[in-house]
Formats: sequence, structure tokens, C-alpha cells
Amino acid sequence: MNRINVISKKLYKIGLVVSLAIFLLFIFYDIHNLESNSKRYLSDHYISEGVQETGAINIVTSVLYDYRAFDTLGEATVLLTAAAILSFLVPITKDKMRGTPFTIIVSQTTQVFIPFLAILGMYLIFFGHLAPGGGFVGGVVIALIPILLTITYRVEFSEYKFKPDKKKVSEDIGAIGFVLIGLLGILTGSNFLANGQANVSLGDAGELISAGLIPYLNIMIGIKVGAGLAIIFNSLIKEK
Amino acid sequence: MIDLIFNMLMIFLLITAFFMVFTKDILTSVITLPIFGAILVVIFVILQAPGPAIAEAVIASGLTTFFFVITINKTEYEQNE
Repeated sequence: MNRINVISKKLYKIGLVVSLAIFLLFIFYDIHNLESNSKRYLSDHYISEGVQETGAINIVTSVLYDYRAFDTLGEATVLLTAAAILSFLVPITKDKMRGTPFTIIVSQTTQVFIPFLAILGMYLIFFGHLAPGGGFVGGVVIALIPILLTITYRVEFSEYKFKPDKKKVSEDIGAIGFVLIGLLGILTGSNFLANGQANVSLGDAGELISAGLIPYLNIMIGIKVGAGLAIIFNSLIKEK
Repeated sequence: MIDLIFNMLMIFLLITAFFMVFTKDILTSVITLPIFGAILVVIFVILQAPGPAIAEAVIASGLTTFFFVITINKTEYEQNE
């Protein structure tokens, strides 16, 4: 009796997964077969007019930081709220990581590894409008540096290198700078976060300083995401 | 040739996904997640989507693994048989 119960419970789980998979398969099949000319006019507009209107070669960045920049502000606000609440709830007593200490190989490899991570993160942020990447991904790469320091050495060393107060200030600089750059559009008589419509000079498409306000928005988002993820990780590791 | 590689990678993706769900040891499951992410990165590059490939490589293979390792470290880790 018990054995039948266990088998039926396992079959129930597998059946749930399989039915969900079939459901998603039908939905994706229907989405794939939508009529192209009647319901895809927006993506056609982005692909054909995006480079002239925003100046960014990477169309993903032009959607994220120009056409739909307000959604990006919402995502950044979610991360800011999470980091603020976690650093508010962090206890005074510090808990240590359990487990064995690492050998010398791990610490030496970490020292060699960190400059490459910094260069890669900076590249992803600054070339966000020219190559794949962008503020979010570059910020995550930057945030991996204090996380590696925290895991390899201790929380104390990581917080001695990157002070928590400075991390909080830089996150605030990122969040407020994004909004201030957005307000530039209103000052010139257009909409919030307007770039090409507000007569910002777009420059030649393909150069490093081009695409109007998009590189500065990328830098702000990169600072904010990097500092926010580092704060979240250090707060979680101190939790008992 | 590229079709053969693509299909093989899809099969490996299914194998790693099922292994990740149905394995007993939770640490094995966590370490299988970056392998899943790495296979997915190659599939994204074959499908000519470099943006999601970079996001997947950084977030799924790097950040999520760190967070799961910390979660296992904080909670009681018991080896099941």
C-alpha cells in the first residue's frame, strides 16, 4: 500500500511536468505562427528605423534604454528596494561561513582573476550600445569581484576593501543619476527619458561616443546593479 | 554538421535538466546548473543571439551558483544515503 502511494506520488509529479510542457509547446507554436504583417509592425519598426532614431547599433540596447527605458527604470527600482531592505534587516552579529578553509591555489587564482573581471565588466558597460552586453550584464560582472573576495577570503576582508557605506552611496548615485538623465528630456521640452526626440545630438552610429544619452544610462545602470548585488550578497552571508 | 551539433546539444540539455531535477544529492544538483547554462550558451550562439548568451553565461553560470552555494552553506546539508 505504501509502495503504491509512493509510485503514484512520483507519477503525479512527472505528469504535472509533462502536461505543463505540452501546454507551453502549444502556446509557443501559436506564437510562432502569428500573422507577420498585421501583428509584428512594432518589431519591424524597431529593426528598420532603430539605428536612425536612436543611434545605437545594438538593437537590444536601443529598445532597453530608449524605446522602453521606463521599464528599465522599474527593474532598477526593484533591485534598489531589495538591496535597501536586505541591508536594513542585516543583523549586527556576524556569522561565519562554515566548511573547510581553501588551499593556496584558490586564493592565488582569485588574485590573478580579478583584473580580468574588472576589464570585462567595464568593456560590457562602455560598449553596450555597440556590442552585445549592456548595463545589467556588466554590472553583474563588476559585482562578481566583491563576491569572489567574500567567498575566498572572509566578509571582513571584502568589507575592508569595499566599504559598505561607499557601496550604498554608489548605488544611490546610480539610481538618482538615471532619473536626472531622464529629466534632461523634460527640460528640453520633450518626454521623460527622451533621447532622439529631444534633439540630443546622436553622433555617427558606430562610434564610442554616440547614441546620445544611451552610454550614460548604461554607466548609471552598471554602477547601480554592481553595487546593489554586492550589498545583497554581503547582507545574505552575514545572516545567521 | 551544425545541425548534428545542435541536436546533440539539445539532447545533452535534456539529460542535464532531468539529472538536475531527479538526483538525490542537492550539491550535485547545484553543480549541474552551470553545466546546463554552458550548454545553453552554445545553443544561443548557434541561434545567433549573443545578448542572451552573455546574460546566461554571467547570471546563470556565475551569480546563481554563488547564491546556491551560500544557501547550502547556511542551511543544514545532509547527504541522503
